[in-house]
Amino acid sequence: MRGKKIGDYALDSVIYICLTLMGLATLLPFANVLSKSISEEWAIVAGKVGIIPVGFQLDTMRFVVTSSQFLHALFISALVAVIGTLASLLVTAMTAYPLSKRELPGTGALIVLFIFTMMFNGGIIPNYLLIRQLDLINNLGSLILPALVSVFNMLVVKSYFESLPPSLEESAKLEGARNYTILFRIILPLSGPVLATIGLFYAVYYWNDYFNPMLYINSSSLKPLQLYLQDIVMNADTSSALSADDLMNVPAEGVRSATVIASTIPILLVYPFLQKYFIKGVLIGSVKG
Amino acid sequence: MKNYVKLFLVTAMAVMLVALTACSSNNGGSDNAANATNSADTADTANAGGEADAGDAANAPSDEPKPELKRLGIWQNEDYNTYPVAKMLEEKTGYKVKYDMLPQDKYAEKQNLIMSSGEPYDLVTTFSDMAIYSDYAQKGALVDLLPLIDKYGPNIKTAISQQSMDALKVDGKLYAIPTAVTYEVNNSILIRTDWLDKLGLQMPTTTDELTAVLKAFKDKDPGGNGDQDVPLTIRGDLPMLDNIVGAFGMPNTWNDVDGQLVPRVLDPAYKDYITYMSDLYKQGLLDKEFVVNKDATAKEKFSSGKAGAIIVHWADIPTISDAITKSVPDAKFAFVPALKGPAGKAGFAANAGFDRLTFIPKASKHPEDAIKWINASLDPETFKDLAIGEEGKHYTEENGAYMPILPIFNDERNLANNYMAGTDETNYPIYWQARVHKSPVMFEAFDFLNNKQPAEVKIQNKLGLAPYMPEYAKNNQQLETMVGDYTIKLIAGAESLSGLEAFQAKYKAAGEEASAKEINAWYATTTK
Repeated sequence: MRGKKIGDYALDSVIYICLTLMGLATLLPFANVLSKSISEEWAIVAGKVGIIPVGFQLDTMRFVVTSSQFLHALFISALVAVIGTLASLLVTAMTAYPLSKRELPGTGALIVLFIFTMMFNGGIIPNYLLIRQLDLINNLGSLILPALVSVFNMLVVKSYFESLPPSLEESAKLEGARNYTILFRIILPLSGPVLATIGLFYAVYYWNDYFNPMLYINSSSLKPLQLYLQDIVMNADTSSALSADDLMNVPAEGVRSATVIASTIPILLVYPFLQKYFIKGVLIGSVKG
Repeated sequence: MKNYVKLFLVTAMAVMLVALTACSSNNGGSDNAANATNSADTADTANAGGEADAGDAANAPSDEPKPELKRLGIWQNEDYNTYPVAKMLEEKTGYKVKYDMLPQDKYAEKQNLIMSSGEPYDLVTTFSDMAIYSDYAQKGALVDLLPLIDKYGPNIKTAISQQSMDALKVDGKLYAIPTAVTYEVNNSILIRTDWLDKLGLQMPTTTDELTAVLKAFKDKDPGGNGDQDVPLTIRGDLPMLDNIVGAFGMPNTWNDVDGQLVPRVLDPAYKDYITYMSDLYKQGLLDKEFVVNKDATAKEKFSSGKAGAIIVHWADIPTISDAITKSVPDAKFAFVPALKGPAGKAGFAANAGFDRLTFIPKASKHPEDAIKWINASLDPETFKDLAIGEEGKHYTEENGAYMPILPIFNDERNLANNYMAGTDETNYPIYWQARVHKSPVMFEAFDFLNNKQPAEVKIQNKLGLAPYMPEYAKNNQQLETMVGDYTIKLIAGAESLSGLEAFQAKYKAAGEEASAKEINAWYATTTK
């Protein structure tokens, strides 16, 4: 940066300081919840807890993370996210691959049908009835099957496949490879970036999903983390409708905060390592080679 | 490009056609299904009759294996299936029950979904909402319980009062077992008695004295907060202040005025109440920020020692007490007794009616066993164990009062009320006080409001035991919101009383007139 004047540096530093402060400001609500989760309950009720914890203690946190319901919900969420992501990746790739072959008859019509589902769907009740008829109520399958293929992700993969040179496949065919071999041994290994990206999309979707479990899961032993969290946090806002028995059993504000923090930690730990794929992912397929 | 458009049109048409045929066949399908269920139902009842007859003939509790029941409950913070009460009930009733629960948020939507899709639950226990309940009943989604109770429910008959059963009848049939409310008074003004002492004031007994006390709180700064003192804080969504509103003769949302039930905003006393409240607000005696106060904000102001008085439920006392004694160690507080208004009236709204309802959906596979289960759970000994546990282990008896043994009572019986399907209506209110005894401060507050206040200031909510009234059920919530918003504006000075008549006209047209007709037609029958 040769040729910069002192004034420029001054301006730059002002801009940087402003931006840093604004960035930090977005952390404030999070910091507030964090400090509530490690403060004493009386201080929270009296409104003394801001960013700095009052009466530091870790008992609430320990209570939350060792609660069997929390651990169980965490396990269910992780299970659904892992199995769901793998299944989604497999099915999405296998759907996208034939559709990427323009020379096959009918691909255009099929794609239109796929796109149709992006815009229209049956709505909650028909979906619920469908899931019920499939006997998937209270079954983790109900969290994975409806979200198995996201059309948007499928189209991203399809355009990535289209950008691969067709001569690769031709040479493989000359060597006697069949379609499955070509897909699994040649195309997919070359599609690392796009698979990583949509895999991440799927994983985040499965992890954050609370709507499907809210509809389809009644058994408390199958509730994923988001639903557990929602149940705990929502408690606060309905207190006017509750009877005295419920009022006496409302989880304390500290417990709620600690649950929020504890359930954020897993995704916080993974995020920094995955963020670059998120940014990359937006660009994939945007320029056709 | 042209090809694409054509293709799209063709597919779109094809899809619509498919959808249409699917829809029509769907209708046919559901009709058939409905017929099928109907015939299945008749078959079931026929069977049931047969079985029952056989049972009667044998005249002995049958030894055939009891089926596993499926029960749906409201949300609780622990798994129903592993909470100790479940095991106790299984041992005592002999039935294994698999529990599921509704979500905390939007439970009604989920419940409607489950009910309308015919999920085979044998028992559903949910919040008492007459509108939803009678909707299910009228749509034929619930099993009529009277014949079953006659056959299998001797304990149910003794436990549940006729009055409760009558209030739940829809077209002469009973579809739910109620859990009656166990106490009468919820809220009052909680006041800092150490502030009163400091200023040499007495506990207020009239609304004028309350004004004087609040004024002293504001001017003399007993809390040492400078001008930060808030004499009386409330939450923004409850502009009808319990106790004060009773002093103007309107403790409940509908009150008896010359033999007719009248909603507050049409009550002649409404003007006086507004005049009193807006005066408090203008003088700065009511929290200036009350409009934006949430429940937590108001409690925060009181617990941190900034507010001299607050309106709370007695069940909130343990939290508040804990917080305030830590932040202001010499703070003392107590509930204000029923205040007398300018016309000499006083009163608290007294609960009447139900907390939960338990019903058996038509889709249940074992309706007789469900009733037998309820009956078994209402066996006096079993019910006592359900309510307060075992003597010496969960509770002790002192002078006729049941004292909980902590912490085991908290761990094993705190959530017991969620397992109840109906209560022993004579004994449960007494058992239930064991829960209030968990915290001595809470019990003191509860005792003061519910046991020490004279009976005439506990004015029962007449509508609590009213039967289902379609217009009222439909309009009630909307009307309440209308009045709430309007009252807040009046108190805060955004509207003036000169517009009251216009509002009343709008309010009547919004459904009050229809509701009032219905309510008073019923009310006339009760006061005869």
